[in-house]
Amino acid sequence: MVETLTRRQHVPDAPHAHAGVTIALAAPMRRWSLRARDGAALAKLLGLKLPGRIGETVGDVACLGPDEWLWRSADGVPKSMGEGLAVSIVDVSERSLGLTLYGPDARAVINAGCPLDLENFAVGRTTRTVYEGVEIILHRADEQRWTIDVWRSFGEWLWLHLNTAAEHSPAAATRS
Amino acid sequence: MSGFRMAKGGRVDRAAPVSFTFDGQQYQGLAGDTLASALLAAGETLFGRSFKYHRPRGILGAGVEEPNALISVDRGGGRYTPNLRATQIAIYDGLNARSQNRWPSLKTDFGAINDRLGRFFPAGFYNKTFMWPRSFWEKLYEPAIRRMAGLGEAPTDIDPDHYAAEFAHCELLVVGGGPAGIAAALGAANNGERVILIDEQDELGGAALSDPAQWTWLEEARASLAAAGNITVFTRTTGLGYFHDNFVAAVERLTDHLADIGTGPREKLWKIRAARVVLAQGAIERPLVFEGNDVPGVMLASAARTWALRYGVAVGSNVAVMAAHDSGWHDALALAGAGVRIAAIIDYRDTVDPALVRGAEAAGIAVHLGSSVIGVAGRHAVRGITFASNAGGNQRSLACDALLMAGGWTPTIHLWSHSKGSIAWSEKWGAFLPDKPNENVTCVGACGGDWDCGSGANLGQLPTPKDPATIKAFLDFQNDVTAKDIALAVREGYHSVEHIKRYTTNGMATDQGKTSNLNALQLASGFLDRPIEKVGLTTFRPPYTPQSFGAFAGHAKDALFIPTRRSPIDGWAEEQGAVFEPVAQWRRARYFPQGAEDMHAAVNRECLAVREGVGMFDASTLGKIEVVGPDAAEFLNRMYTNPWKALEPGRCRYGLLLREDGFITDDGVSARLAADRFHLTTTTGGAARVLNMMEDYLQTEWPDLDVWLTSVSEQYAVIAVQGPKARAMIAPLVEGIDLSPAAFPHMAVREGTICGVPTRLFRVSFTGELGFEINVPAAFGRAVWEALWQAGQAHSVTAYGTETMHVLRAEKGFIIVGQDTDGTLTPDDAGLGWAVGKKKPDFVGKRSLARPDITAPGRKQLVGLLTDDPAEVLEEGAQIVADPAQAVPMTMLGHVTSSYWSAALGRSIALAMVAGGQGRMGETLYIPMPGKVIAAKVTGMVFYDAAGERLDG
Repeated sequence: MVETLTRRQHVPDAPHAHAGVTIALAAPMRRWSLRARDGAALAKLLGLKLPGRIGETVGDVACLGPDEWLWRSADGVPKSMGEGLAVSIVDVSERSLGLTLYGPDARAVINAGCPLDLENFAVGRTTRTVYEGVEIILHRADEQRWTIDVWRSFGEWLWLHLNTAAEHSPAAATRS
Repeated sequence: MSGFRMAKGGRVDRAAPVSFTFDGQQYQGLAGDTLASALLAAGETLFGRSFKYHRPRGILGAGVEEPNALISVDRGGGRYTPNLRATQIAIYDGLNARSQNRWPSLKTDFGAINDRLGRFFPAGFYNKTFMWPRSFWEKLYEPAIRRMAGLGEAPTDIDPDHYAAEFAHCELLVVGGGPAGIAAALGAANNGERVILIDEQDELGGAALSDPAQWTWLEEARASLAAAGNITVFTRTTGLGYFHDNFVAAVERLTDHLADIGTGPREKLWKIRAARVVLAQGAIERPLVFEGNDVPGVMLASAARTWALRYGVAVGSNVAVMAAHDSGWHDALALAGAGVRIAAIIDYRDTVDPALVRGAEAAGIAVHLGSSVIGVAGRHAVRGITFASNAGGNQRSLACDALLMAGGWTPTIHLWSHSKGSIAWSEKWGAFLPDKPNENVTCVGACGGDWDCGSGANLGQLPTPKDPATIKAFLDFQNDVTAKDIALAVREGYHSVEHIKRYTTNGMATDQGKTSNLNALQLASGFLDRPIEKVGLTTFRPPYTPQSFGAFAGHAKDALFIPTRRSPIDGWAEEQGAVFEPVAQWRRARYFPQGAEDMHAAVNRECLAVREGVGMFDASTLGKIEVVGPDAAEFLNRMYTNPWKALEPGRCRYGLLLREDGFITDDGVSARLAADRFHLTTTTGGAARVLNMMEDYLQTEWPDLDVWLTSVSEQYAVIAVQGPKARAMIAPLVEGIDLSPAAFPHMAVREGTICGVPTRLFRVSFTGELGFEINVPAAFGRAVWEALWQAGQAHSVTAYGTETMHVLRAEKGFIIVGQDTDGTLTPDDAGLGWAVGKKKPDFVGKRSLARPDITAPGRKQLVGLLTDDPAEVLEEGAQIVADPAQAVPMTMLGHVTSSYWSAALGRSIALAMVAGGQGRMGETLYIPMPGKVIAAKVTGMVFYDAAGERLDG
C-alpha cells in the first residue's frame, strides 16, 4: 500500500534551472546511519566495504566520523540489525531530503552558505558541514555535480536559499 | 565658483555627458567622474556642514579619506543611503544626491549659529553641560542635540534591495590595486595558486590613476592580470576587516554606480580565507593644522593632483600651496605642468631640497620658506590667505582661490592592525609603520613604508602669532575637533591617547580619523611632553569604511532570515485554516477555528471532542533519539532518574532528565523496541539540547559504553490519536498489531504497518484518554494523516492543536518542561518524586538532590490552583501572595505557570510554583491584579479523572 500513498515534502518535485546551475530534489533513497566500535566487524556483518578515512566514500558508503558511516542507496536494506553486537544500525531514510546541484555555478552557489574550500573538495568526497546555520551532508559526485542531504524540515529554507543564491550568481556579469 | 574643467587631460570620457542633481539642482558631468569631481568642475566649493559647528565645508581629499563631503543618495522606493563620500560616488544619469546636516539649505544653514557659540561647546561639552537637571536629558537635550549635531538621516523605508554573500578561498589575497598591489598579484601570475586582487575604486590602478606617466604601464598590467589564468580581480570591493587565520571580509558594490540597477543584488559580502595576504593599501596624505584649514577650497595637495590629472578638473585658477613635506612640491609642479596656475609655495621648513626650489622657480612659482599660513579669507570658498614667517613676523596676504596642504603621509595600516600586527614609529614618515606580523601577511608599497615621496617635517600644528586658545585649527574635520580641544583634554588630566580620543571624539567619526589621528597624536605628544611612541596609537577596528547593514545581513531577510521548520503535516493544517504558533524553530498548529470561532471557542470544542470522542494531533516536532547498542539500557539508567534496565522490550516508560545540579531539564516517554534498542522522545524545544547533553556524557564520561545515539526526530512523522474512540478509529488501518487492551496495554509499543506503511505504534497518552501515537516515515506523514482523517469521519474525528493539547495535559496535571519549570525545580518540587529511582546507585543529578538546600523546606513547588470564582482564568506569570493587604512590595510566594479554561470541568484551572506549596493544600492564596485581587485555593495538580480510569477508553 506504500505505493498508493503519496510522498510529500515541502520542496517542489520539478528542478529549478538557472543560468549556471540546476537545483533538483533527489529521488527517494534508503539511508542508514551506521556506527560501530570496530568498522571491520560492521563491514563483515553487512557485507559492505566501509571507507577508512573520514570524508572518503566507497561505493554507497561514506565515512563521516571515526566510528560513523552513512550508507545511501536506492533500496539497500541491512542483512542484519546487529542485535547484541557493538554496532548501531538506524534507519534514517526519511530524515533528510536530498538536493542535487549541477552546472558550472553549482560550486559558487553552495559557497554562498558553506565555508569550505570547495574548489579543493575532491570528487567523491562526502562530509558533514554547514550551510549558513544549517547542518548538511555534502557530496561531490563529479566536477559540476553536488548532492546535499539536509534534515527534512530545513529543506524548504535551504531550497529557497540555494535558489536565491543561484538567482544572484549572474550578478558576476555586471562586474567590469 | 573656483574650480573648472580643464581643456584636456584626465581619464573621464569627454564624449559621454552625464546628468545628475545635487540638492535639487541639475548638473552635467562626464562618464568617469565622481560626484566630487563633477561638482568641482561645475565650480562648486560647498559640499556639507560640519557635525558640531555647522561650518561650511568643501572637499578635503579625493578618496576614501574624505571627511567632509558626506552625501545622501536617493534612488527612490526605499533605495536611500546616507553618509556616502562624494569622492567615491560614481555619477550616472539620474543620480539624485543631497548634502546633509543643514537646514534649510547648504548655503543658508541656521545651525551655523553653533559656530559663533563655539566657545560654549568645548570638548566634552555633552558630558559637562547637559548633566543637570537629569530629567531634561531624554526629553530635551538629547533630541535637540540629535537634531543639531549629526550626520545624514537614517532611512525610514524598508530597503527593497538584495544582498549576496559568498565564501572564497585563495592562496594569495592582495588588498589594494595600486602599483604595489598589482605587482604583488602579477608576481604570482600563472604559478598555480589562486590569487584574488581586490580594490575599492571603480578602476584598478590606485595612485597610478593620478599619474598619466604610468597609464601605459597600467594598461599593460591590467592586460597581464586578465591574461593570467589564476588571478581574479574585484574592483569596487572594500576589504573591510581582517580576522583570525587570514580571514578577510570584503564588500563588493555591484550596482551603486549603474543608472539601471537591474534585479540582481546591490552588494556582495565576500568572506575570503587566504593562505597568505599582501596588504597594499597605500598611504593617506595628512592635512596641516592652522586657523582656516577647513574653509572650502582648502584641500590636500594630493587630492588637487588627482582632480587635475585623473579627472581633468582644476580646483582653482590661482592656487597656493602650504607644504611641510616634499610631496607638496611634486604635486604643485605636476599641477603647474598640467596648466594649473600655482601662485606660491609656502613651506614650514627653513630648508628644502634645492632641486625642488629650482623647479618651482623655473615654473614661475613664488617660494616662501620658513613660513606658515596663519589665516584664510572666505567663508564658502577661499578668497585669499595670510601667511607669516614661523616666528610671526613678515605677515603678508595673498589672493588665491584654493589652498593645498601637504603635511606628509600616513601609511594605511588599518587592516594590518585588525590582524593584530605590531607597529613601530617611523621618524621619517612621521607615522607608524607595520612591524611584526601576527598572521601570514606582508605589507607592500606605501602602506609598508616602501615608497619614496621625499621628506618632511613632523609637526602637530603650524606656528601662529595668535593665542592658540582663540582659534579653530581643525584636526578631525568630521567630528569638528580642533587643536585646542586636545590641549584642553590634556589640561583636564587625560593623558592616555585612548582617553584623549574619547574625551575629544577625535578619530571617532565614520572615517575613524584617517586624516586626523596622527596630527592629534603629534599635538598630544607635545602637550604631554612625551615622545610620540610612548603616547601610542588608538586601535583600528573593522570596518575600514562604513558599510551598509544589507551587506552584513546578506540573504538573511524575509523568508530566509531564519529557517521556519514545518512538520510533514503542516500543509494539511494550513489548508484547514489552522492558526499557527512558533515553538522553538518550528511553527505548530495552535488551533483549528471553524467558521467565526475565536481561539477559546475552538479550543473548547477541540477539548470536548477528545474527551468525548476522538481527536488527531500532529506531534511530529517531538525530539526523537534512537539509542542502540548492548549498553543502551545501562546508558539510559545513568542518564535518567528512574530505572531502565528492567524495562521489557515492547514497553514504554516516562523518563525524567536532570542536569548535574539536580534540576529538571527535560522529560519524555521512551520505548524499548528490543534488548539493545530504545526510541526516546524529548520535548520539541529540547531535542538538540538533550542529544548534545547525552553525547557529551557518552563521549567524555562513559566512552567505554557500547551505545550510539542517532537523532530520528525528522525520520518519523507522529500522529497522536486520542479519545475514547481512538482504538476503533485506527483499527481498520492497522495491520500486524493486536490492538486489544490485553495485548496492547497503556505504555506499550508495537511495530507493524498502518495504511501499508511501517509504523512504530505507541500506546501513550498526554491527554488522560485512551491514546496512540503513530510514528510513520516522514514522507508518508501527510498521506497517513489524510487516510486517518478519512477513516475518522465515521467517528466525527476532530483535529486539535497545541493549545488544546496544553489544556488537556493541564487537566491531568502533566507538566511541560520550560513552562511549568524554570530550571530550579527538582523532581520533588515538581511532584515527580515517584520518578526517581531510590535504589539506583547513581544518575545524572543524584548527588545534588542530597544537598541541604535542595531538601530544605519552603522551596517553590508545583501545585494546582482553583480560583474561588470558577469563571476567573488567571494570567500565566501572575504573582501569588499570602496576604494581599500587605504593603507593597508584598512577599511573593511564586507565580502561575499554566492557566486555562477547562471545558470538561466547566471552570478554570491553573498550575503554579508556590513556596512550600505541597504543604499548603486547601490554603487560600491571592493573586493581585490591576484593579482586583483574585482568591484561589491550593490543590493537587490532577484536576480530571484522578483515578486514571479513562486510559482504557
